[in-house]
Amino acid sequence: MAVYKRRYNSYTSSLTPPWSRFFVLTRFAFADLFKSRFFVLLLILAIVPNLFFAGYIFVANNKTVQLLMQVRGAGADLFSVETRYFLIIMIVQTQIAFLLNCWVGPVLISGDLTNGALPLFLSRPFSRADYVLGKLAVLALLLSAVTWVPCLLLFGLQSGLARNGWIWSHLWMIIPIVLCSAIWILMLSFISLAVSAWVKLRIVATGVVFVSFFVPMGLGEMFNAIMGTYWGHLLNFSLLFQLILTSGFREQSDAINSFYGRGEVPVPAAWGMMIFVCLFSLFILNTRLRARETVRG
Amino acid sequence: MTPTIELDGLEVQLGGRTILHSLTGVLKSRAIGLLGPNGAGKSTLINTLLGFHAPSKGSARVLGLNSHTSGKALRSLVGYMPENDAFISKMSGVRFVRYMAEISGLPSDQAMERAHEAFVYVGLGEARYRPVGTYSLGMKQLAKLAQAIAHGPKVLILDEPTNGMDPPARKRLIELIREIREASDICLLLSSHLLRDVEETCDEVLILRNGQIASICNLVEERRANRKFLELETLGAEATFTTALESLGCECAVFSSGRIKVVMPDSVEIREVFKVAADRGVQIRRMNHRRDSLEDIFLNAMEQTGAADGRL
Repeated sequence: MAVYKRRYNSYTSSLTPPWSRFFVLTRFAFADLFKSRFFVLLLILAIVPNLFFAGYIFVANNKTVQLLMQVRGAGADLFSVETRYFLIIMIVQTQIAFLLNCWVGPVLISGDLTNGALPLFLSRPFSRADYVLGKLAVLALLLSAVTWVPCLLLFGLQSGLARNGWIWSHLWMIIPIVLCSAIWILMLSFISLAVSAWVKLRIVATGVVFVSFFVPMGLGEMFNAIMGTYWGHLLNFSLLFQLILTSGFREQSDAINSFYGRGEVPVPAAWGMMIFVCLFSLFILNTRLRARETVRG
Repeated sequence: MTPTIELDGLEVQLGGRTILHSLTGVLKSRAIGLLGPNGAGKSTLINTLLGFHAPSKGSARVLGLNSHTSGKALRSLVGYMPENDAFISKMSGVRFVRYMAEISGLPSDQAMERAHEAFVYVGLGEARYRPVGTYSLGMKQLAKLAQAIAHGPKVLILDEPTNGMDPPARKRLIELIREIREASDICLLLSSHLLRDVEETCDEVLILRNGQIASICNLVEERRANRKFLELETLGAEATFTTALESLGCECAVFSSGRIKVVMPDSVEIREVFKVAADRGVQIRRMNHRRDSLEDIFLNAMEQTGAADGRL
């Protein structure tokens, strides 16, 4: 089928391994994303706080700089880099990840569904699971780049600068950093993919992602106020994540309790709720991502 | 040789309704046409062959692969051009085809090369860098064909390929389909409302009506049979002429006014009929092949399975 011959020839050369083909979707999605200047700006802004965090770690471990800044002695605790510091980094970065997800997630599937391209994907040796995996990988990679990856780099920086065996006494933090980021990234990704599969307009879809976080939160607070309980917090996904995070970092969640009041949802319940949201989003994706719609009746 | 399509009591239910009722048949030709009125189940059959719908009973096989249990293996052989719009509007044509080819398993560089080739081949070379969303209806059809052939499939499934095309574009597309069929060992399954499209591209037709097989007809054999059936109008010594034809192995039936119907055996060619006529001094004033067109076959099939209501 060479261009100059204008003749059809079948393809007989090598093929890529089937397991790797989901990544084609990821690659093309990233290529499309990076065409948008707004996205690039958003990504840069999402990474900028890490520079401040890194600067703080550098100052905290550099007595000369502290003396030059004339802060040494006056506020020794000001530059403490311990568990709570990494907890703050995680909270800040996961909220930034939420914003990034609201921009990127809603367009991932809707573009394929708007003009019926899904049957073209599924008429190839490519399953719905591969399709979801390919789209999920976009968000997973992107959100990882602003959550646990920079956090681990900062952890490495602190370990390198602190010495005195700091790394060995804090090594356990790697697990909550990765695990808590993973559940947050999965939940955000599945919610926005599910929304993207239902809502075609970007602005509306972004709004729906916001709404899917804030409306349940409001409903939960109403439930708490009416019933005099704290179980309504199960609908506050940010709070659930912060509970998981603080428990993972072995920190007391007093601050969270004092903000929301009336005690605390058990951490296993918070995990259970976040996993349930992921499964429910998968269920929505399963009903929506079909090569052909079946009309009942 | 493995049949192209085998249907073994295939039944498909969708939304609680039975759409395909116990379809059984074997289609061996390389180019198969799928005909039937609206709602006959053509698209459902195609979707079932692609593994989009699971059979509630029976099975369907394409090139020996079960559409349900070996769906992925089967789809690795297939190029599919759907009936409805199917594209990513913001992508340029060539990028869209490359994307689809890569999903089919072509390495990136090969996919790019084949995407360009496919686009030029279908006649959209000049428009390949434009977003697919800006294409006209006919161009979108051609872009769909390009994505269906870019990865070099063994089976090409075309669902209403000439929908929305003007006559010259339709002619060009039919020529392309015939070229593709003849240039390689590709198998073709073409579903169309237009009998002419099927007649021009296919060797065998499966006619569906109300989810049942109305007829399976081998057009090649039908055409061959038609070639051997002559209607003559003669002037001269009919009796000696028919006797001479019968001595060649032909069967003749003589009617009034010199009209003769002749069924020729495979070994006899038409020029021998002329030669016999010339030897006997018989003038052949008119000669017709029986022309049992696909339309006749289709209408017969419709009549046999129920009242033909003229709808296609």
